[in-house]
Amino acid sequence: MLDKLIDMAKKYTDEVEIYQIDYSVSNISFENGSLKDIESSIQSGISLRIIKDGKLGFSYTKNLIDPEILIQNAIHSLKGDVKVEFSFPERKDIKILNTYDPEIENLTNTQMVEEGKRISEILSQKTGTQINVGLHKAVTNLRILNSKGVDYSVKTSVYYSHAEAMYPGSYSAIFRLVLDKKFKEFSQEDIDYITFLYNNSKKEVKPKGGKMKVLFLPSTMYVLIWRLIFATNGKNVYEKTTPLLGKLGEKIFDTSITIYDDPLNDNLPNARSFDDEGVECKLLPIVEKGILKNFYYDLYYAGKMATNSTGHGYRVGDWGQESIRVRPSPSLEHLYMQTGDKNFYDLIKLIDKGIIVAGALGAHSGNIPNGDFSIGLSPGLYVEKGEIVGHVKDSMVAGNIYEVMKNVVGIENRAYVYNMGIFPSVLFDNVSVAIKE
Amino acid sequence: MFDVLRGIISKVPADYVDIRYEKMWETKIVMNKREIYQLGENSGDGYVVRVLKDGGFSSIAFTKLEDADKALKIALENAILISKNSKKKVKLAEVEVVKDIFIPPLNEDPRKVTIDEKLELLKHYNEIPLRFENITTNLHYWEVIREKYFVSSEGTEIREDLITCEIRGSLVSFEGSLVQNVRVGIGGSTGFHKLRNREDVFEKKTKIVLDLLKAEPVKAGVYNVILNPDMAGVFTHEAFGHFSEADLIEDNPSMREKMKIGAKLGNDILTIIDDPTMPGQLGFYKYDDEGVRARRTYLLKDGVLSGRLHSRRTSAEFGEPVTGHCVAEDYRYAPIVRMGNIFIEPKDMTFEELLEKLGNGLYILDAKGGQTSGENFTFGAQYGFEVKNGKIGKMIRDINISGNLYQTLKDIVGVGNDFELGEVGGCGKGQLNIRSCHGGPHILVKNVVIGGV
Repeated sequence: MLDKLIDMAKKYTDEVEIYQIDYSVSNISFENGSLKDIESSIQSGISLRIIKDGKLGFSYTKNLIDPEILIQNAIHSLKGDVKVEFSFPERKDIKILNTYDPEIENLTNTQMVEEGKRISEILSQKTGTQINVGLHKAVTNLRILNSKGVDYSVKTSVYYSHAEAMYPGSYSAIFRLVLDKKFKEFSQEDIDYITFLYNNSKKEVKPKGGKMKVLFLPSTMYVLIWRLIFATNGKNVYEKTTPLLGKLGEKIFDTSITIYDDPLNDNLPNARSFDDEGVECKLLPIVEKGILKNFYYDLYYAGKMATNSTGHGYRVGDWGQESIRVRPSPSLEHLYMQTGDKNFYDLIKLIDKGIIVAGALGAHSGNIPNGDFSIGLSPGLYVEKGEIVGHVKDSMVAGNIYEVMKNVVGIENRAYVYNMGIFPSVLFDNVSVAIKE
Repeated sequence: MFDVLRGIISKVPADYVDIRYEKMWETKIVMNKREIYQLGENSGDGYVVRVLKDGGFSSIAFTKLEDADKALKIALENAILISKNSKKKVKLAEVEVVKDIFIPPLNEDPRKVTIDEKLELLKHYNEIPLRFENITTNLHYWEVIREKYFVSSEGTEIREDLITCEIRGSLVSFEGSLVQNVRVGIGGSTGFHKLRNREDVFEKKTKIVLDLLKAEPVKAGVYNVILNPDMAGVFTHEAFGHFSEADLIEDNPSMREKMKIGAKLGNDILTIIDDPTMPGQLGFYKYDDEGVRARRTYLLKDGVLSGRLHSRRTSAEFGEPVTGHCVAEDYRYAPIVRMGNIFIEPKDMTFEELLEKLGNGLYILDAKGGQTSGENFTFGAQYGFEVKNGKIGKMIRDINISGNLYQTLKDIVGVGNDFELGEVGGCGKGQLNIRSCHGGPHILVKNVVIGGV
């Protein structure tokens, strides 16, 4: 069927690429210990890209009822004169990764509901506060074909659960996520982590602001990393909107910081040996021992910059746009930060006076290109003499990553999957904290 | 279409079933500086079914008609699973059965404008900032036509179309290593005419993004501030509006306690309304995605909490009237409670009187993203000015505001007599709502925490 579509489109154009996806998802949510919702979705779609006379055409459809309309929409879009300086890739012998665990098929919604109840009950009993829990299961089939012989497919299974212990009268919460290719229990360690952070910070405190030590948790490291992701994006290199232009090989962070993208690590779900453009994936160091090593590219921006795609063309839109509806663009989908040598609880002991950023508000605002951040704490835990003494409200942590990430005090010896990547907790010194008196 | 949908849900042995089929046409032109990055017209479609059985309420979205039986079976099983495992039984508030076809009137249908003309207009506006060598732009034209069909087992049958178009993006200026940016957006729900003859908007934003290069970073601290209508709108939407959405607080007892009807939350001068029925505004619709007619809803009246936004489910749960605020992003989602057009009701102060009352402080304009945790909120502003002795002084940048909702509602001490609603929207509460609209008058707020960089 799709081979036929390639042949049909090839009649009109020089090169053809098809992206086909289908997935089924279940989401279960518990609020305050009560099962609130089960939402399911079975979706599919096809996206077509063509190249003719150095111009790119694009179209998509949810239901491939008439292939001719899909092709004509792509041809019609050629008049946009989107000039490209690349060809779709040739077929290679790519690595086969372990991305799918058939056990996921045996995981029923009933079992997930049981797990959600279990987590809710234990945490509610341990913390005495409102607990919200979410559980998610998805199986995705992705196939990419092009007229150069690429025909790759990957089947992916994902399971995750997360729990939040909520501070009364708000949505501020201590959060933990557990992720795997099949069902994985929310462990005692995960429960202890939430219980420790929540129970020790129940009291509201009003310390004085100023420059102090600030610990970002794996769940809030994205605030800082977001700025780096922006600054190393091949699009922003091409458009010259990154402050890192011309700084490859220069030291931008503390030598303890190493950040890399590793699509091939299939211990975690969503590993990939090819990107959404059929380009082979490989490990890419972004920052090594504080030194800026690489920018990342998709085919389009690599073409503009006369370099090669690093295998980072993904169809990700802002705010969860449907993948078939967006063109691939440079994206780091498998970002890791190298762990350090400190146990999490020992890191807290290193804080004479400081804040743990357990939740951030407004990470998406502020001058991201410049590397600036200015976030509300939701919550911020206040630490004195190595002990958590309470949580702060009405407070902000602000700075610039190219200054803050030079002042590393310590890095946790484990990393966890959260928003934007897999990060350890990192303790920084001399960060500006504003607290309303 | 109604026949097909009726046929699909007729087989389900449930207490209530509804189905929504949507066909969506999208035209998108993306320009990065002078290069066209994307251009095209496409369409997608899909179904969303919701099933209520023995107090369990569950939904499923699917793409292919041939998956309908499988999907309905899953939704029914899930509803039963919820019913068995939930302490609370879901009820849906009683509503009027409606049969209606509503196609909104347009001033120049964007479907009748050629894509070449759309591109030319986008290029025309793009050239305004690009006259300056130290500015780069990311601008797009985006048109979304949603044709929605809704059928329920109660007999409601509605078709409503939502037509949205916008030209929107960001302008970025540079000087050495300094990078500044502002957002720009025009458009709405009433047709292509909203995009014509708007050069002034792009001229104004061009000047601001250039001026920002010379502006001073604001010093962190606590200030009295005047917020312009866009900033006031973001405050109203982010800090207050979300907690008027009943589904957000339904299962949070401590928030429900704080947001009790009759609670005196704000200053006497403060009245907040959400009204999706305002013709011509971005957030306009006639029926929500549960087939409920939208209603103007007073959320805060003279500082007293007087209502909230509901789905049929939350309306029954809270024992409060339905408001018609349950809306979905597209064919991939079941609806959730959303704001339509939310704003602070204007009062009697002129801008000059607000400045005079402020004396010393800041004048803060145009929002740049915001977020809330319930009682605390944070949002950015694109630019601002110092105010000394009631006079507007030099420009400031890098402004981020943070505050406590309940305290801030009391600290609003002046409400202007002007009124402006936004032309482009984008609220991401799990789903993106491009018709989310907010605004209001200028307002004066005491004791706002400003975190600089």
